[in-house]
Amino acid sequence: MNIVKRFLAGFLLIFFSLLLMTSVGSAQKYELGFEKLEDYKKPIDDPAPFYKNIEGFKKIMPADVYKKVTYDVDAMKKAWAEVVGFKAPDVVGKIAPEIKPGKYTYKDKEKFPFDKIMWKHLYDRFNAPASSGPRHVCNFTEIEIVPTRQYYHSLPVIEATKKHMDTATQDTQGYLLQESYKAGFPFPRPSGPFKAMQIMYNWDKSYNLDGEFYWEHVYGYTKDLRNDYEGMATAYTMRLQGRVKWEPLNWLDKRAQDQRESKVFQYMSFAPRDLFGNVINVTSYMDPNKFDLFLMYINSLRRIRRLSASDTQDPAVGQDMIYEDWQGFNQKLTPKRFPYRYDVIGEGEFLVPITWDGSPYMSTKEGYILKNLQFERRPMWVVQMTQMDRNYIYGKRVFYVDKEILYHVHIENHDQKGRLYRTYDTLWGFIPEMGTYNQFHTLALDHVDTHSTAYHSYSYPALWLNRGDVSMSGMIKMK
Amino acid sequence: MNKKRLLISVFATAITLGLMVCPTMAKEYLIFDRPLNLLGYATQGAGFSLSDRDRFDTEKGLQSALTNLFVEADYKISDRLKFYTSERLSVDWVYPLKHNDSSWHDKEFNRSRKNLNVDDEYWQILNEAHFTWVPENFLFRVGKQVVSWGETDGFRLMDQINPLDTRRGFADVEFENTIIPIWLIRSEYYPRITTTWLQDLGVEFVFNPNADFIPNQDIQLGNDQGGIWAPNIRFDDVDARLGSGAFQNVKEPGSFSRKGHEYAFRVKGVVKDTIVTLNAFYGKENSPIVKFADPLNPFPEVTIASDGKAIIHPGFEGKFPRFRFVGMTASKDIGFLKSQALGSVAPVLRLETFYAFNNTFTDALSVPFSQNTFKEFDEFRLAFGFDWKVRIRPLNQRAFFFISPQVFYRRIGGFSGPDPSGPVDWFDTTLTRMGKHNWTTSLFISTVYLNAKLTPSFFWLHDQEFGSDFFRLQATYDWSYNWRFTLGALLFSGKKLPGEENSTFKSNNSFDLFKHKDQIFFKITYKWG
Repeated sequence: MNIVKRFLAGFLLIFFSLLLMTSVGSAQKYELGFEKLEDYKKPIDDPAPFYKNIEGFKKIMPADVYKKVTYDVDAMKKAWAEVVGFKAPDVVGKIAPEIKPGKYTYKDKEKFPFDKIMWKHLYDRFNAPASSGPRHVCNFTEIEIVPTRQYYHSLPVIEATKKHMDTATQDTQGYLLQESYKAGFPFPRPSGPFKAMQIMYNWDKSYNLDGEFYWEHVYGYTKDLRNDYEGMATAYTMRLQGRVKWEPLNWLDKRAQDQRESKVFQYMSFAPRDLFGNVINVTSYMDPNKFDLFLMYINSLRRIRRLSASDTQDPAVGQDMIYEDWQGFNQKLTPKRFPYRYDVIGEGEFLVPITWDGSPYMSTKEGYILKNLQFERRPMWVVQMTQMDRNYIYGKRVFYVDKEILYHVHIENHDQKGRLYRTYDTLWGFIPEMGTYNQFHTLALDHVDTHSTAYHSYSYPALWLNRGDVSMSGMIKMK
Repeated sequence: MNKKRLLISVFATAITLGLMVCPTMAKEYLIFDRPLNLLGYATQGAGFSLSDRDRFDTEKGLQSALTNLFVEADYKISDRLKFYTSERLSVDWVYPLKHNDSSWHDKEFNRSRKNLNVDDEYWQILNEAHFTWVPENFLFRVGKQVVSWGETDGFRLMDQINPLDTRRGFADVEFENTIIPIWLIRSEYYPRITTTWLQDLGVEFVFNPNADFIPNQDIQLGNDQGGIWAPNIRFDDVDARLGSGAFQNVKEPGSFSRKGHEYAFRVKGVVKDTIVTLNAFYGKENSPIVKFADPLNPFPEVTIASDGKAIIHPGFEGKFPRFRFVGMTASKDIGFLKSQALGSVAPVLRLETFYAFNNTFTDALSVPFSQNTFKEFDEFRLAFGFDWKVRIRPLNQRAFFFISPQVFYRRIGGFSGPDPSGPVDWFDTTLTRMGKHNWTTSLFISTVYLNAKLTPSFFWLHDQEFGSDFFRLQATYDWSYNWRFTLGALLFSGKKLPGEENSTFKSNNSFDLFKHKDQIFFKITYKWG
C-alpha cells in the first residue's frame, strides 16, 4: 500500500509537471456550434443567403486567419485557366442555345428542350412534387439560369498543381503510382487511354475538406415524405500529405510521413440521440491496398473500438449512403479489391446548380421542394465505372464531373441487377475569395426502397487543427 | 416512503408525457453564449411470462412494467472545459398494478417492492455528473462517471471499475441502467510520440477516493428480495429452496476511507493498426464474498412457501475482498481472413486477459466439506471474440449479417499456489461454483432491413461448466428518429444436475436457476436530442 501511495503521488507530480511545462499558446479556435451557425441560416425552410450573411466566413474567422486563406481572385482565375487550359464561359452555350439566362418553371419544359442539357434524373426532378405514391424529396419547380461563371481553386492548390503537372504517373493498368504524386490535382487535363481514371484520381486527391471544420444537418424521409431521421454532426478533416495551403506544408508531421498517411477525418454525432457522443476517426493511407484505420468511440459503451475498415457497404444509420459513398465517392482505386473498368462515356454541357450566396433551401411547406436554385451551363465529363466483382453492392457507378472544377455533381449507382439503386447530387457552394467549395446541399436517394436523405452542410478552414485534435486524444476530447 | 415513491412515480410520468409532446426540447441551446445539448429518452417496457404452469419462482402473465426516464445535459463551458450530467428514473409499475393480486402476494413478490418499485437512491437518480478539462495533451475528469475498460460484450473481464446493477436480471435494460457511475478522478495524458510502429499513445490513471461506496446491485435471493428475477436455487433432496438471506457484518469501506481507495492504470496505444492496452487495477471486488455467520446454524430461519416447500434463509457474513490484477487488451482486424465469398469484410479480433492475485473464494455452500472459510487463489481470465460481417444474400439482399462469437475462460488457481481441485467446492462472489477451468461462450447475430430501420438480433450465452444456456431473440424497429419499438423473448435452459456427486451435495446453478423465467417482452422508446 505504501508503494501504491508513492506511485500515486509520483504519477500526479509528473502529470502536473508536464502540464506546467506544456506550452500554453495554442491556435485560436473559432469552431461554431449548431445554434450559432444556424443563426445565419436554418437547415430547412430558410431562404437566408448563408454565405452573404457570413461574408464568406469572414465574420467568424479571426482577421489574421482569414487573410491567410483568401487570395487575389483575378490571380486565381488567370492561373487556373492556364492549368486546365480553358475558361468555362468560353466553352459552353452550344447545346440548346435557345435556353438563355433567366427564370424558368417546370412548365417551360414543354417549350424548351431542357432534356438536352439536364441528365435524366435532374430533368425528372424539375417537376411539381407528386401528391401521392412513393416519392422522393427535393424536386424543384422553378430555376434561375445565370451566365456561366469561371471557377477555380485556391491559389496554393493551383500553384502546386502547376508545379507538379506531368509528374504523377500511372502504371500499365492506369493505376496511379502513389509515390509519383506530390501535391495538387494530379491530372488537370485528363487525356489518353486512362482518361477516365485520371478524372477519378483528381477527385481522389482533391482538396475538398482538406483541413476544415465541417458541420452537417441531415434529414431522412420515407417514400410518403414522413421525416424518419434527423442527424447532426460535426467533423474535423485534415489532409496529411501534399499539404499546400498552410503550415505545416507537404506532410503534417513525421508520423504521417513514416506511416504514409494521406488524410484523416474525425466525425462526431450530436443527433440522433442513439448516436450522440459517438466519434468516428478514420485515417487513410497513400497505399490504396492498405485499409483505413477505423476507430470509433461508442458513447453508449464508453469505449473506443477498432472497426473493420473493409466493412464499407452497409448503409449509414437512417441514411441512403454507404461508407464508400461519403462525399459522393470514397472508394479506393485498386485492382486488388472491387476493381472497376473505367470509361468516359460522354462529354458535354449540362445545367448544374451551384450557389454563391447560400440561399437555396428545402421548403417543407411546399412539398419538400428546393427553392432559390441558380443553374449555369457547365462543361462535364460522364465517367462510368463498371464493377468487375459481382460481390460488390454496386454493379456500375456513373459520375458527372465538372471539367473546370474537377468535382462531381451527380452520381448514379446501379446494383448488380442493373437497377438504379442510389443517386448522389451535390449542390456545391462556392467561396470565391478562398477558391474553396462546400457540399452545401447534398441529396442521397434510394430508388429501390424510395427513401431520401437531404444533407445541409458547411465547412471552413480550421487552422487550429493539429494532430492532437484528430488522434485518439482528440476522440476522447470531442466527447 | 410509499408516499415518496408515489410522488416520484407520478412526477416521472408527467415529465415523460410532457417531453413527448414537446419535442422542441431536442436541440442545442446557448447559455451564456455557450452550447448546451439536452437530450434523453423514455422507455416503457412490459415482460410477460411464457411459463406453461403456475410456479413459485415465476408469475404468469405480466411480470414487469418498467418505465425508464433518462435525461442528459452536455454543457461546453469553454473550449477546454465542459460539464456533463445525466439523471435517471426507473419505476416498475408491476408493483402497484399487482398490488391486489393474490398470486403476487402468495409468492412474496410484493415484498420486493421496496427494492425494485422505484429507484430512489440519490446515486440512482443522479446518474453522472462530472467536469472534464482538456488542456493541451491532457484530460481530467472529476465527478460521478463511468470508466469502461475491455473489449468484449456481455462478459465483464477487464471492466471492473464501475459496479453493475443486475437486479432486473436479464430484462431488456439500457446500458445507462446497468453500469453504475461512481465518484472518480480520471486523468489522461497523450504524449506526441511518433514512430514507425506506434501511431498513438495515451496514459490513463483513475483514482477512486471512495467518496461513497456503491457495490454491485446483484440479483437478490428470494422472491421477497429479488422479485421476479430471484434465482430458483433448489435442494431437491430435501424439497426446499434457498430464500432471502440476512447479511450481517458485511463490512463496507467508509466514505473516503483508505480501505475503499482504488487505483487503475492503463497505457493505451495504436500499434501497427492494433489498439493495445496494458492495464493494472488495485481495489476491491464490487460484490462481497460471504460465508455463514453461524456455521452451526447456517439457516436460522425457515418459512413455508405457498406451494408447500420450505424456504431456508441463510445467515451470511462477509466482506468486500481485495481485487488486483494486471492485464492487457488488443483489437485488430484480421485481413487475411477476408473472404470474397462472404463479402470481403475482414473480421475484427477482440481480446482481453488479466492475471489476478489472491482472489477470494468461499466454500460456504460446499456440503459436506465446508469449513465455512475463505481462501485465496490466483486467477487467470481470458476473453476473445470476433466481429465479422458476412454477406448472406438469400437472407438479406441489401445488408450484411453481423456475427460475433466470444469465448470467456476463467482458470482458478494452480499456478504457484493452490487450486480448487479436491472434494471442496469453491464459490465466487456471485455464489457461482468454480472449477479449475471454467468456460462460457456467446454468439451474437444481427442484421438490418428497411434502410437499417428494422434490426433483428439473436444472442446466445452458453455456460460450459453447467451445460446451460440463455437465449435472447429480439427485433427493434425505428419508426422515426424519435420512436423505437422492441419485441423480444428471453429463454433459459439448464441441465438438472444430480443432487449429489462424489459424496458432495450439488445445488443447481447457472441458467438452470432461471429456467422458469422465460418471457416475452415489449418496449416502446421515445428519444429526443
